Amino acid sequence: MKEIKTSGNKYGMVIDLDKCTGCGTCMVACASENNVTVRADESDKERSIAWMQLYRINNGEKFPKTQTGFFPRPCMQCDEDGNGGHHSPCVSVCVSTATKLDQNTGIVSQIYTRCIGCRYCQAACPYHARYFNWWDGYSYFKPFPDGLERSLSPEVSPRMRGVVEKCSFCHHRLMRAKDAAYAQGRRELEEGEYITACAEACPVQAITFGDLNNPGHKVSELIKSPYAFRLLEKLNTKPKVYYLSSKEWIRRMADNYLPGEQVKGVKL
Amino acid sequence: MENEDHSPDNSTEPAGSVKHLFHELISYLIKLNAAPLSSGLVYFTAGLAAALVIGWVFFPIALYSNDVQPVGFSHAIHTNPDIVDGETEAERCAYCHGFRDDGSFTGIPALSKCMECHDDPESPLGESPEEKRFIEEYLAGQEEIPWHKYYTQPDCVYFSHIPHVKNGEIECKTCHGDHGAMDSLPAYKKNRISGYSINIWGENIIGYKTNTWDRMKMDDCAECHTKNSHEENNDCFVCHK
Amino acid sequence: MDPKDKKITERLGINRRNFIMLAVGGAIGTALSPLPWKLTDDIAIWTQNLPWVPVPATGEFSYAKSVCTLCPGGCGIKVRKVDDRAVKIEGRTDFPVNPGGICPLGMGGLQLLYNEKIRFTSPMKRVGARGTGAFQTITWDEALDTLAERISGLRDKGNIGTLAAIDGNHSGSTMPVIIERFLKTLGSPNYMRMQTSQDTCETAAYILTGTRGNVGYDLENADYILSFGSGLLEGWGSPGRVLNAWGLWKSGDLRDSVHIVQVEPRASNTASRADSWVPVKPGTEAALALGIAHVIIKDNLYNSDFVEKYSFGFDDFKSADGVDHKGFKTLVLEKYPPEKVEEITGLDAGDIRILARDFANASAPLAVCGRGKGALYGSLYESTAVLALNALVGGINRKGGIFINEPLSVAGLPVLEPDISAKTALDKGRIDRAGSSFFPFSQSLFNNLAESVLKENESPVDTLLVFSANPLFTIPDAGDFRKALDKIPFIASFSPYRDETSMVADLILPDHNYLEKIDDIASPAGLQYNLYGLSAQVVKPLYDTKNSGDAVIELAKKIGGPAENAFPWTEYEQVLKARVEGLYEIQSGLTSYDGSSPPWQRSGSIVSPSYSDFDRMWEEIKENGLWYQQPYTSRDIEKTFKTQSGKFEFFSSLIASSLNGIDTGALGIKASGDEICIPHFEDASLKADDSFPLRMYPYELINLSSGWIPNPPYLNKTLLDDQLKKDQSFVDINPDTAEQLGIKHGDMIFIESPQGRIQALVNIFEGAMPGIVFMPLGFGHSAYDDFLRGKGSNPNEIIFGGKDPLSGQTVWWDTPVRVIKA
Repeated sequence: MKEIKTSGNKYGMVIDLDKCTGCGTCMVACASENNVTVRADESDKERSIAWMQLYRINNGEKFPKTQTGFFPRPCMQCDEDGNGGHHSPCVSVCVSTATKLDQNTGIVSQIYTRCIGCRYCQAACPYHARYFNWWDGYSYFKPFPDGLERSLSPEVSPRMRGVVEKCSFCHHRLMRAKDAAYAQGRRELEEGEYITACAEACPVQAITFGDLNNPGHKVSELIKSPYAFRLLEKLNTKPKVYYLSSKEWIRRMADNYLPGEQVKGVKL
Repeated sequence: MENEDHSPDNSTEPAGSVKHLFHELISYLIKLNAAPLSSGLVYFTAGLAAALVIGWVFFPIALYSNDVQPVGFSHAIHTNPDIVDGETEAERCAYCHGFRDDGSFTGIPALSKCMECHDDPESPLGESPEEKRFIEEYLAGQEEIPWHKYYTQPDCVYFSHIPHVKNGEIECKTCHGDHGAMDSLPAYKKNRISGYSINIWGENIIGYKTNTWDRMKMDDCAECHTKNSHEENNDCFVCHK
Repeated sequence: MDPKDKKITERLGINRRNFIMLAVGGAIGTALSPLPWKLTDDIAIWTQNLPWVPVPATGEFSYAKSVCTLCPGGCGIKVRKVDDRAVKIEGRTDFPVNPGGICPLGMGGLQLLYNEKIRFTSPMKRVGARGTGAFQTITWDEALDTLAERISGLRDKGNIGTLAAIDGNHSGSTMPVIIERFLKTLGSPNYMRMQTSQDTCETAAYILTGTRGNVGYDLENADYILSFGSGLLEGWGSPGRVLNAWGLWKSGDLRDSVHIVQVEPRASNTASRADSWVPVKPGTEAALALGIAHVIIKDNLYNSDFVEKYSFGFDDFKSADGVDHKGFKTLVLEKYPPEKVEEITGLDAGDIRILARDFANASAPLAVCGRGKGALYGSLYESTAVLALNALVGGINRKGGIFINEPLSVAGLPVLEPDISAKTALDKGRIDRAGSSFFPFSQSLFNNLAESVLKENESPVDTLLVFSANPLFTIPDAGDFRKALDKIPFIASFSPYRDETSMVADLILPDHNYLEKIDDIASPAGLQYNLYGLSAQVVKPLYDTKNSGDAVIELAKKIGGPAENAFPWTEYEQVLKARVEGLYEIQSGLTSYDGSSPPWQRSGSIVSPSYSDFDRMWEEIKENGLWYQQPYTSRDIEKTFKTQSGKFEFFSSLIASSLNGIDTGALGIKASGDEICIPHFEDASLKADDSFPLRMYPYELINLSSGWIPNPPYLNKTLLDDQLKKDQSFVDINPDTAEQLGIKHGDMIFIESPQGRIQALVNIFEGAMPGIVFMPLGFGHSAYDDFLRGKGSNPNEIIFGGKDPLSGQTVWWDTPVRVIKA
């Protein structure tokens, strides 16, 4: 396998779980930004679609020591292992090259018109970040939309039935930022010019977004935190989404630890 | 039929020789002339010819609509340096098809752009009957002109003009042809099946390209991206949304 | 053989063999032509662009600045637009309330704008039976004429007192002012505003400080936040601002120095994410506050400077008439030792002591009140107790403390003396008796209204106007209000939404959606400085709707006479502008914010305004959507206290004088003597018989709208598996309690109170206090569309509560229930 250059940007996200309040604004901002469809019964989580999904976890202690915490879960934008080994889990199984790791951004793309709906990638994703369109969500006949299609953004293609979709790190916002920079005669983006809709919307500023390849960016600083960890890190999927938590019970839930095994991060 | 006449293969010429084949052909032609419709070849040729005519002549005509734009418009007049400001041709194009501050491309201008010059419905700027119609039907009622857009890409395509025009310094006509010099708007030909204009899916029915602006399909984009730039610029998300 | 003898088919050689030759020739010809290849390609392209999958039109992108008026929070929003179409709502970084963030409801606002099924698209009149939702489209003229005639008729018959209005607009903003003005000029005193916890806190502040203004909390500067059930993360106050403050507390150096304590019976988001969670029995928060006060006083940890200089009634005193009175100190030391509080609240006495000491020793302690989102009123005595706790540590009008601000200095509208007939009608008093000598500290009492409508043969309300409210769904009264509405002969709803209340209305005069109209928010809930927010028309109205402000003005003109005189304006915007003139006169406000230094970081110097004349200022306000004052400009502590003593009154002379000669027992006050005038704990829960062994506590979620604003469908995505499953909502029950009841996770149960029963699925939750069942508010709609209708149960339907002492409101936070397996 040929060696991969990583000279470009590698966009990544750091989510501070100590700050996250579980309000769900990121989910709504994401859905609204990315034309995600909504159905009458959203409680059917096997059918509903959420590029950013909020999970609630619980320390399992008895009342009144109970604590809950939240995991906002976008697409992890898994990377290659860098040693010529594996690809991102979904990319390596896609039979129609509908999903691919962009070398210049580190973002895993998903092209709906190319997807044949085999759902192999959905099975391969360890993070359940991929969703299948069982219906035409927005269509001029049922099951939607009573005028709701008027809020669709032209920056993201509405999906048709039978394809898989997932978080794109709001790739269109990168393009938007690039256009604006080009208009000003710049080729490079400043930090903060391109951030995802969830990072922008988070009212507690729990989500930080930036270029992991740029040591000057805040994300590069944050991932060095002793509280930093990634989901299912042992799978070596190299996610570009990092989490911070000072609570060990939360960090323990992020991976499959043996009883008594040292949890990644600093013990309080 | 086969056994009635004996063809010259019973002659002294050995089978397979040139002379033998010649005899064969002559006798076949004689037979064909006498009873042309009894030969399968005629049917074969007729089927072939009909299919070729349908496929090459009628199908391309039937496949595309032939819509006339709502109002006649002369690019030639409007790109005249005496009328529109701009040193270079590209600058004159950009007078109407320019960039906004956020880097987005205006595309076909709205009526308000036309009104920067055609501001008075009472006084036309030229003598063309089309201008008169434009003033009466659209300008007076402040109604946007429902142009047929030649270059609408499918919704799954992301395309931004600014990196191509400003950074890549590609001329407008590289993709759009030299219609800045045209006096009238060509007919709008919509593919009745795919719904996209002939300008996107190829002027030539077999996809043969003579000019760079003949077609705007994925391969055409990729060709240039691969040739002029890094391989990474062919990443899916560069051109898809 | 003569060819003429042959049959025509033979002559033409039409036989099987030649037919195949023809077909083969055709097939080869087709294959050599572009037809199959182009057709295949085109069909493939067609499948990628299925005609029923919409292609959103593109165009020029722009942002329109506005202020969110979905709740009293008043967050700044910018709406991303493509030409005239709104496609996204974002938070504004150039707005001081919420630097960039907004709540999920505000984020989902476009689904309120564009969802045609939940909106009225034109004025309507009812044609079918009430509640069937059968309406017929009418014109605005017909709608306004119908209503004007009806109101004129009432006035002619001398029955104008039977006109009433219910208003869900935010206190201090312009709509309440003009609706009340409309009623009063005609002669009806029956203006009723939906009561929020902000109203309760402001009343408590009025009782103890004499100032009826805005109660603000300086959250950003506090370092110890003791929240008495306030859902700081559930949408309390101005959600964009409180969540931002939460982010600040958890950032950088503050991460370790700010301590947040949540007092609440359930492990809500706030309780779970707080540094400490103090689970108390519902309704006993006041006892805890006073228990903390006890420890602080006993340990001498209180701010003696404040108490001595600025307070009254802390120590025992002798009044002018020579009577000895007990002070706060004596009462608290006597009645609320931690051991006693342990009995009431269920907390450990030792924990209370630690809590009290931590609170008092913090450098900027702040106690916060207002249950849940604060969308529903709270307990009045409890609010006074929390305010007293703040006073005890000197946290009144101090950095990091509670701010009792003067009301926003908007100009009053020209005063008009009511005519004789109006005066006579006004003198008859309100139907709900709020503000009367029986309920001197309440502004609106919906429970009394429902009671008197149901009690009398003929409804004392003939015509009811409903503005920006859905009382049928949101009032916690077990459906009494619904029954009352059935008896009211004529209901006119101004709601833009097809909510439960409009479904029983006779006439619909739909308002614009909040993104389609200009309106104001005066002083966002809980903000520590004065701010005036003005929303803009972000998109042109989509349907034949009308700004309710304009509708009221037109209605007044159609009625004529005094009503017309009271509304000399031609449009609502003129009223807004007239009120803003008051802000111009004080010459100290700012009309823009650049995000560099938040107002709460600045000190209180008065800055000179950027505008030279009023029209310029109005334009600036319209452009930026805001006017605000530097905080702390009203820190003059003595001016804040307008009480009889001129001080903060631990012993309220206002209660003493208001309740003089009143049977306090009838008000539900169990205490007697001096205690009535002092913040104290009252057990207001209603006891039922032993067959109702559990209690029910309704709670709120930030991602589920529980007020009159319908829940946007996108918010349904955020609901978790144990909050809603298909059309059933869940009830949180502690595992031990569930075991005693013999129920498991996912079981269907009935929750039954003496008032009725509702159905829910069981969610076994360790964070639920044993013995209490917790139900979310916001489910159980019978109106709107498929996204909302018939999903879950509304706990408001089975509320069985006593009256909150002093305020007279129904206690909604403590209902005796039993659980029956379905």
